[in-house]
Amino acid sequence: MASDFLTRWRYRVIPDKVVGEILSKNWIDSAIPFLFLFAAVAIFGTLIDTMFTAGSLGGLSRTIGEYLLIGLGLTIVVMAGGIDLSIGSVFALANLMMLALGGVMGWPVGLAALAVLATGGLIGLANGLLIGYLRLRAFLTTLVMLIIVRAVVDTLLLAYTARISSTEIITPAWDFLAFGTVLGMSASFWTAIALAVLAHIFLTRLRPGWHILAVGGSRRAAHNAGINVRRTICLTYVTCSMLAAAAGIFYAARLASLGNDTGLGLEITILTAVVLGGTSLGGGRGSMFKTVLGVIIVVIITNSLIRLGLRSGASSLVLGTILLIAVAIDVRWVKNRAKLLARSYVSPTYFALPPLQLVSRDPASPYAINDLLSVAEPIGVGQVDGPEDVILDAEGNLYCGSRDGDIIRFLAPDHTTREVYVHIGGQTLGLAFDREGSLLVCVGGMGLYKVTPDRQVIKLSDETTRSWLSIVDDSRMRLADDLDIAPDGRVFFSEATIRYEMHDWIIDALEGRGNGRIICYDPRDGSSRTVLSGRQFPNGICMVPDGQSFLFAETWGCRINRFYYDGPNKGRVDSVIADLPGYPDNINLASDGNFWCGIIGMRAPAFDLAQKMPGFRRRMVLQIARDEWLYPNMNTGGVVKFSLNGTIVQSLWDGIGERHPQVTSMREHKGYLYLGGIFNNRIGRYKIPGADPDWTAARAYWGAKR
Amino acid sequence: MMAWLSDRIDRFRGRGAHAPTVPPMDGALRPNTRLEDAAVLARINAPDNLVLHQGGVLVSSGAVVHALDPVTGVVSDWRRFDAPVTALCSLGDRLAVALADGRLMLGDQAVTGLPDRACMTALSAGENGGLIVCIGSAESGPADWKRDLLKRGATGSVWSVTADGVATQIAGRLAWPSGAAAAQGTITVAESWRHRLTQLGGKPVVTDLPGYPARLIPAAGDGWWMCVFAPRNQLIELVLREAAYRDRMMAEVDQKWWVAPTLSPATSFYEPMQGGAIRTHGIIKPWAPTRSYGLLVRLDAAFRPIASYHSRADGRFHGITSALPFGDRVLVASRGGNAILSLQEAQP
Repeated sequence: MASDFLTRWRYRVIPDKVVGEILSKNWIDSAIPFLFLFAAVAIFGTLIDTMFTAGSLGGLSRTIGEYLLIGLGLTIVVMAGGIDLSIGSVFALANLMMLALGGVMGWPVGLAALAVLATGGLIGLANGLLIGYLRLRAFLTTLVMLIIVRAVVDTLLLAYTARISSTEIITPAWDFLAFGTVLGMSASFWTAIALAVLAHIFLTRLRPGWHILAVGGSRRAAHNAGINVRRTICLTYVTCSMLAAAAGIFYAARLASLGNDTGLGLEITILTAVVLGGTSLGGGRGSMFKTVLGVIIVVIITNSLIRLGLRSGASSLVLGTILLIAVAIDVRWVKNRAKLLARSYVSPTYFALPPLQLVSRDPASPYAINDLLSVAEPIGVGQVDGPEDVILDAEGNLYCGSRDGDIIRFLAPDHTTREVYVHIGGQTLGLAFDREGSLLVCVGGMGLYKVTPDRQVIKLSDETTRSWLSIVDDSRMRLADDLDIAPDGRVFFSEATIRYEMHDWIIDALEGRGNGRIICYDPRDGSSRTVLSGRQFPNGICMVPDGQSFLFAETWGCRINRFYYDGPNKGRVDSVIADLPGYPDNINLASDGNFWCGIIGMRAPAFDLAQKMPGFRRRMVLQIARDEWLYPNMNTGGVVKFSLNGTIVQSLWDGIGERHPQVTSMREHKGYLYLGGIFNNRIGRYKIPGADPDWTAARAYWGAKR
Repeated sequence: MMAWLSDRIDRFRGRGAHAPTVPPMDGALRPNTRLEDAAVLARINAPDNLVLHQGGVLVSSGAVVHALDPVTGVVSDWRRFDAPVTALCSLGDRLAVALADGRLMLGDQAVTGLPDRACMTALSAGENGGLIVCIGSAESGPADWKRDLLKRGATGSVWSVTADGVATQIAGRLAWPSGAAAAQGTITVAESWRHRLTQLGGKPVVTDLPGYPARLIPAAGDGWWMCVFAPRNQLIELVLREAAYRDRMMAEVDQKWWVAPTLSPATSFYEPMQGGAIRTHGIIKPWAPTRSYGLLVRLDAAFRPIASYHSRADGRFHGITSALPFGDRVLVASRGGNAILSLQEAQP
């Protein structure tokens, strides 16, 4: 159809999923300030011709450096959930002390600076003790501190202005602090940038930094996690005041001036910068990079307004307005981001399946529906929850996965004794035994694990190569699904989807996109790499005995393919069955050399049609409750046996659908077929008429010794 | 003007009347299993309309009208027609029979004045000894009701037939009228596709029902029985608002497998399945989203629901198409469950 053609290209050309993926990134919080910076640069750059000359930038860099130092401190306080209004006064005090100690008292610059920093630290400590340990309100406490320190500064100014103004400090160190430039930028700028980088590493990579974010995110949770909340809060104020004092030192060196208005209103300017950058006033969210952005914006704006000849009052008015807007955006954004993300994440695309071949109960038809599996003997009814895969060892013990993150074992010969073989944690999916008898298992949300015969759990792989052009980091595995082991020991396993977690796996069907991949784990060097990507829910990896290829199913694509991992055809994918009437899951060897494939559900025409109409599916996801969404029909399933050339040899169904409405896995063992189902509460055992009563998969795989 | 404007805004934002939401079953409609637990009186394939005629119970099923022994449940052929019977009504000594090909028989006499191939959905006795005929649609036949719903059809009408067999239209432009109740000089009609009961020439009396109401039967004592043959469902409500999908579905998919209400629980894997209806641990949850349901509602004389009888998503007796008070019991036809149930009425 013409409309299908257009829809297909529309979804191929414009990948909607990018929007959702970008929204899921943490740096998206910086997008608005970044645009703001861009706008500010563009507007003022055109209004003021000399804005971006080298000299102008050098001048700007001094202010930026000083503001940034204070901004870093305030960011740390705000990220821990507090606020510090006393920074302007501390800044003024530092300026005064530096001039007094270095000039009047004649101390060396280094010593004077240390004394000033120590004083800043003491003021911060006072704040920190009051707020962190005595639990006073940050806003009031620091407001009072602002007034007290300002009063001290005013008193000292009255007494010493004349003496300080009459002395001049001339030393090389002092000059460098004041006028030194590196690459055209001031010393204060480089100091601030270096500190910003350090602070970024501290906050994102080190334990105390994480503690600050944790305290800001939720005080109680942080406390419950064993973090010393009081000390953490106290230290943020110490850091903040010391950084404000450091800024004061640079300011003193630069202007060597005393004035009543030094640092007046600075707290509002810096707060504007911090919030504008995107650090949330509620705490727990923010970064140094954001503050750098915010400071640059604020400095450009204030500087430009002065150059444009606005009165200083007008400048404050503009800044205040920006602060209000920034706070408003912050509040709305933090509140609605998750909602926006949830709404935009599911991103359906056009997908057309081949025409549906209708199946019937006519025994002559290839997929003939019957009720053979409805009489399968139940094993462990009510003792297992979601056995996605089942496997038997050489002694005939039966293993299965479960939703609770266990591997359950039913002991031979009658499979009535149940025991938890090991507890791993994530939903245990595909199972396979290796040559040594260790059990390899794919764990949803965790990766590929190995359980040794003495029940030790070893992680083999949980990340692979990151693909170059993906927006989200796809190196971590979200949904390792099924595996098989090549004769040389390499493990090939599928990751069904890289976009959804285990509990959301069916939603992947609504996207109709190849979100899955196949990964190779090499035990020789412990590496993992992606060998095939862009597949629709790849699943059911099963080695072909040629030692060069394996079969895999693409569940939502209703296909079974063969992938050559070695040999002359290396890298090739051949189609084995392209038009299954249902959704295939795990594939395993049969005793007669053919392959079993579990069918988890059937294609329903209304759903097939919806797959061709991505807009409809998107509106469905947006408008109606999740339980009401149209899904592939998962209430009827079965098992088919097929040959390597794609012929259906046999089909077994539970047409009634009470015992095995969907079959995700089956293993043949000594003449019986064992059935697992991801929504089921039992394992089924079906006697295969005429099957070899001695055949076991382990022996067929690894030879007679096992 | 304001109403029109707010309707446009609602349509754009998917709110109000344009929201694909469904009212909850609450109050008198709180789910129970009283219908599911009721005794099965007889097994009949797709029973439709139960009537009490000359002291005996009759029930239609396809082209046959069966006689049903209300005590033993023994079923025997009473009369066979050459077209499916779509509705019955007893008028004392005469039985009115509506056929799918548009004929309406009043005893042996054919009624005149009805449109050609009228899609009759229900017959009720009028207060003056006449007959009230509900014609579901002017465009679709009785078997094509899903298409009429998906096309959002509103071409139904209600006719009055005099005792000597002449029909005149008394109301039009109704959305699949499929049940009528005459009392105190007014006629109240169940408009299925608008989920409400409307008084002809007046206002809707019950609105926003959680299912599609159909036949109304006088209850013993005061009040009425209202049969609700299918539930509303969010997905179907969405599909009703998605013209492109709806049209392609009607054109490309077999009617059996449409996203549309049905009378019987899903039997084929080609039917659409909703997320909450996955069979987990061997069972389907009673509260799962469903396209079929069994619901019989007891209304008081003012048509307010006062009690209800349910067979839920995991139940068998869906598609309730008629009810008949008989002694201290109520006989209920479950068209989707292929059964006549014998219900002990609970004291409201």
